[in-house]
This record gives sequence, structure tokens and C-alpha cells, in this order.
Amino acid sequence: MAALVLPAGLLVTLLLVAPMLLLFRISLNEYSPTEMMVEATTAANYLRAVADPYYRSVLGTTLAVATGSTLLALVLGFPAAYWLARMQGRWKSLATILVLFPLLVGNVVRAAGWLALLGNGGAINAALLGLGLVAAPLPLLYNTGAVVAGIVAVVLPYMVLTLSAIIESIPRQTEEAASNLGARPMTVFRRVVLPLALPGVAAGSVLVFVLCMNTYASAVLLGGPRFKMMAPAVYDQFVRGNNWPFGAALAFILLGITLVLTVAGSAVLGRRYRRRETEERA
Amino acid sequence: MSITRRSAMAAAAIAAASAGLPRPVRAQAKQVVVGTWGGDYGELLRQNIDAPLMGPQGIEVLQDVANADPRKTKMLAERQARRGTFDVSCLSDTDMQMMAQQNTLETIDFGRLSRAGSIVPALRKPYAVPHIYSALVLLYNPDKVTTPPTSFADMWDPKYRGRVGFSDILYSTNTFAAAMAGGGSFSDYGPAKAKLMELRSLDAKIFPSNEALAAALKGEEVWMTPMWLARGYMWQKAGIPLRHVVPKEGAYAILFEAAVPRNSRNKDNAYAYLDAMLKPEAQTAFADRMGYLPTVTDATLPPEIARAISLSEADQARLRAPDYDYLLRAHSEVLDFWNKQFKG
Repeated sequence: MAALVLPAGLLVTLLLVAPMLLLFRISLNEYSPTEMMVEATTAANYLRAVADPYYRSVLGTTLAVATGSTLLALVLGFPAAYWLARMQGRWKSLATILVLFPLLVGNVVRAAGWLALLGNGGAINAALLGLGLVAAPLPLLYNTGAVVAGIVAVVLPYMVLTLSAIIESIPRQTEEAASNLGARPMTVFRRVVLPLALPGVAAGSVLVFVLCMNTYASAVLLGGPRFKMMAPAVYDQFVRGNNWPFGAALAFILLGITLVLTVAGSAVLGRRYRRRETEERA
Repeated sequence: MSITRRSAMAAAAIAAASAGLPRPVRAQAKQVVVGTWGGDYGELLRQNIDAPLMGPQGIEVLQDVANADPRKTKMLAERQARRGTFDVSCLSDTDMQMMAQQNTLETIDFGRLSRAGSIVPALRKPYAVPHIYSALVLLYNPDKVTTPPTSFADMWDPKYRGRVGFSDILYSTNTFAAAMAGGGSFSDYGPAKAKLMELRSLDAKIFPSNEALAAALKGEEVWMTPMWLARGYMWQKAGIPLRHVVPKEGAYAILFEAAVPRNSRNKDNAYAYLDAMLKPEAQTAFADRMGYLPTVTDATLPPEIARAISLSEADQARLRAPDYDYLLRAHSEVLDFWNKQFKG
């Protein structure tokens, strides 16, 4: 049976683990403007990233945007996932395709659409100016709101599909039993559906949070030149600054923090789910 | 996100699977891979060099299109490889100098170029051929900026609060402009720091790309920007109300070059390509469409274009290449300051 993992395992080792090890080695090197990179074994790049208030604020923005976008996707996604999960017949597959539809468009193309919509000469401002509702175009682009809107539009399908898979597995009868016993719809949701859907909430949130932490296109195109998240900052160091060691250190800091938070987050939600299960059995 | 990654993996798998198959006949024809920008530059190469000049020699040109930074990164990453991606690499003079310093470029054997004798002597380098050049100017909207500016320092006039725009990707030359306004030099960008912070409090606007800046100039959202004269020419042709001045603090030259990476797989074809880039007809096409000046002595421009894109003799005499060594050392600090302090 273990042999079944072999092809995928080899591929991951070759395409993911090996480059990561190389990147980690690079993160311990020293930067030199003339030599580009000098072989060394130093933690200086990590220390510099942690000590520099600029990179701490970039990390803060990244965490805030990722957390906010994940919560927003959860709040928006849950009702849609519930509706999708309880749907019957041929409309269900059509609805599933509709949910998947945004994934058929690349991130950059989608961001270009947002630019056309939100820009100073974009559709919304053109309409507002045309109607005489505003005197000057509203600054809809190049701010945190535009980035969050762009990200949520990207990650929502992942959230909806993950949640709807788990909600489908909750028997309808449990909700009906709760209603029969006098629970109002909100109580049914709070006491029955949500607790049973917790594993899905955890899985969906982890998936979406990881995607949000690594946002690149939405941050660059919708956030504008002054808005910085970690992935564009890593790119900047590698490609504009030619400082591979520092870029690699930033990449590992991003990876480490994402990993710690997702593991901790799923552990907390998992424990809550198990506790409820034991309570119910007792 | 995962879709792109997945499709890239699928493409890689297909490529790997097909590697063992007999190669199509086409692949055996003579080829040259040119690393270049897309947009107008790539298009003009295709129209004026690839098809009319390389086609008849039976050499197929494959463009590898990307901005300069990713292509530089690729060249650096492939430094140790025996077979590189590019046969010809097109970069700005500053980038090319850096690539030469990193030992990625072949020393040009000018004896293999029939056009070598026509190159403007001042633009000659051992590791690259010059392709086109222009100068850093101050562009301004004559309807709004009624007293024509004469220097970079005019951007600090409080009258123009909120009306000075910068292109984010030109952070290096923007910093140069600020340095010169603050009494710096080609080899000292130090004074730029205070000047940039001053301009920041005067609400200078930053745009993510040259195109976004052009849109803001067109909409008269901003009135002034340091820019390449050639770009200014293109924008004027596109109907944006603009004039230009070579600032009195200094005339900074931008030169675009082409070179052959040491690990090029088709050096003969690469030399043929460099030669074609220097042909007068190819050079004139770039002047006409993009406003860049020819780097060979025998390319003649139609008089009205020459007038629009040429520098006065006095400005031409002041024209100087950037201090490459200084830029190489200061680059990371300049970028850091731009990102962290000026934009932050």
C-alpha cells in the first residue's frame, strides 16, 4: 500500500522539497552588491527581517488582510454552501459549476476586471460622475478594501465547495429533529449545523488562509505601489533588489508563520469539535 | 492560484513526456532565442528585424518575452548552466553592466559584425552592442504648468502640490532626479533622501506602471514627471498634452543594449541578430514609433521626427551615462529607501 504514495512522493520531493532546501541554504548566505551572493552560514537575514519595523508592518498587513479575507469568505460562503449542499436534482450540478466559474479566470485577468471597474476612469466612477453624484472620482482602487474584495472573490469558491461537502454529510433529519423539538432556525444553525460543520470550517479556513497569506496578483494590482504584502515583498527582494538571501529569509518567515497559524488554528477547532462530540455522547 | 500551478505542472509533464519523441523537422532549422520586453519593443523587433532581416537568412527568431527583472534573474540563475535560455539578451545599459559584472556575458567579437564600424563610438562597450538611446527629461503639461520648468528642482514648487507623478518602476531615475535637485551627482544619490521626503509631504503621486502614469497625465490628474524623452514622444503622439525639458542639473542617458550570454546555444545566429539590430532601416523604425535615437551614424531620420526626439547640441554634449559602479553598490539602498520611506 505504501508504494501508492511513491509517484506523488517522488514528484513532491523533486519539485518542492529539493528547491525548498536550496532556498533555505540561500537564506543563510550573505548578500553582496557586486558578487550577488557570498557563501556563508548566518542568521543575519532572518534577524534583519525581524528587527526591521518595515518588514514587521508588511507582515502585520499580510496577517490582517489574510485573517479578514478568510473571515469574510467564511461569513459569505457559509450560507451559499448550505444552499448548495441542500440543493437537489439537476440544478445542483449547474450551481456547482457556477461556483467553480471564477476559478476558470486567472487572477491577473480577474484583477484587470477590477481595475476596469474601480479605477478613476472605471465603470463605477464614470457612472457616479455621469449622474452628477460626485464631483471628483472616488478613490476606490489602491487601498486595503480593494485588495480584500479582490482576494475574497478569488478564494470564495474554495470556501463554498469545502463547506458544502461537509454540510452535505450532515443528515437533514438532525435539523428536522431540532426543529420538531422547538428550535428556531437560528438555534438550529448555532446548535446543530455549525458544530457538525466545524471540520469543514477548519478545512476551508485553513485552505483559504494559506491562499490569502500568499496573495500576489491582487496585492500588486489592486493595492497599488504603496500597499505591501509578504509575497510581493519577497518578489521585490529577488527580482528588483537581487538580494536572494534576504528574499529567501522573508519567504521562510512567511512559510513558518503560515504553518504555525494553520496548525494552531486547526488544532483549536479540532479540539472544540471533539469536545462537543464527547459531550454529546455523555 | 492552484489552477495555474496545476496547468504548469501538466505542461511540464507533457514536455517531459515528449522529450523522448522524434523532434519535428522545424526544430532543426536555424534558431535564435531573443530575450526581450514585450509591447512595442518586442513588436518592433518582430516587424523590422525578425521578419525582414532574419527570415531571409533562414534563421527563425523565438522571442522570450518578459520584463527586465525576471530575465536578469533567469540569467543569474543559469550562470553555471552550460546551456542557457537566451542567445541574445536585450537590456538597459545599467542592467547589462550588472550582467557583465556577474560574468554572464560573452565579450563581443566586433570582427564578426559587418556593421561594427557604424556604431557611435561613445556608445561602444566590450560586452554589448548599443541598440537605441534617449535621455531623462522632465515632462510637463503646458496647459497647467504655464511657466515652463527648467530643472528637476521645479517639482518642489508648492504650486504643484499633488501634481507631481512618479512611475514606481523608475524608482532609480526618480531618485536620481531628487538627488540632483538636492545638489547630488551621478555618483551621489545621498541628497535624494531629504528631497524625496519633502516631495512626499507635497503629496507626490506614485503610479504602479508607466501606463498608469500616462493615464493620469492624460486625465490631467498629475502635471509633471521625470521620464525618458522617447516615452514623452510616444505619449505626445497619443494625444497627451506634454512638453519636455532637459533639466539643467544634468542630462542622464538611457541606452538599450543587446548582448550574447556566455551560455548561448546559437552564437553564430546571435551575432547575425546583433548585426541586423544595427541596420539603418531597423534603427529608423524604432525612432519613428518609439522615439529612441539611433546608435549608428548612418541611420537618417525624417526631419520632423528628428526634431521631436533629438537633443539640442548643447544637451547632447552634456549627456552622460549613469555611474554603473555607484548604482551597483547603491542600488539596494535606493530601492529600500524608495519602498520603505518614500512609499511607506
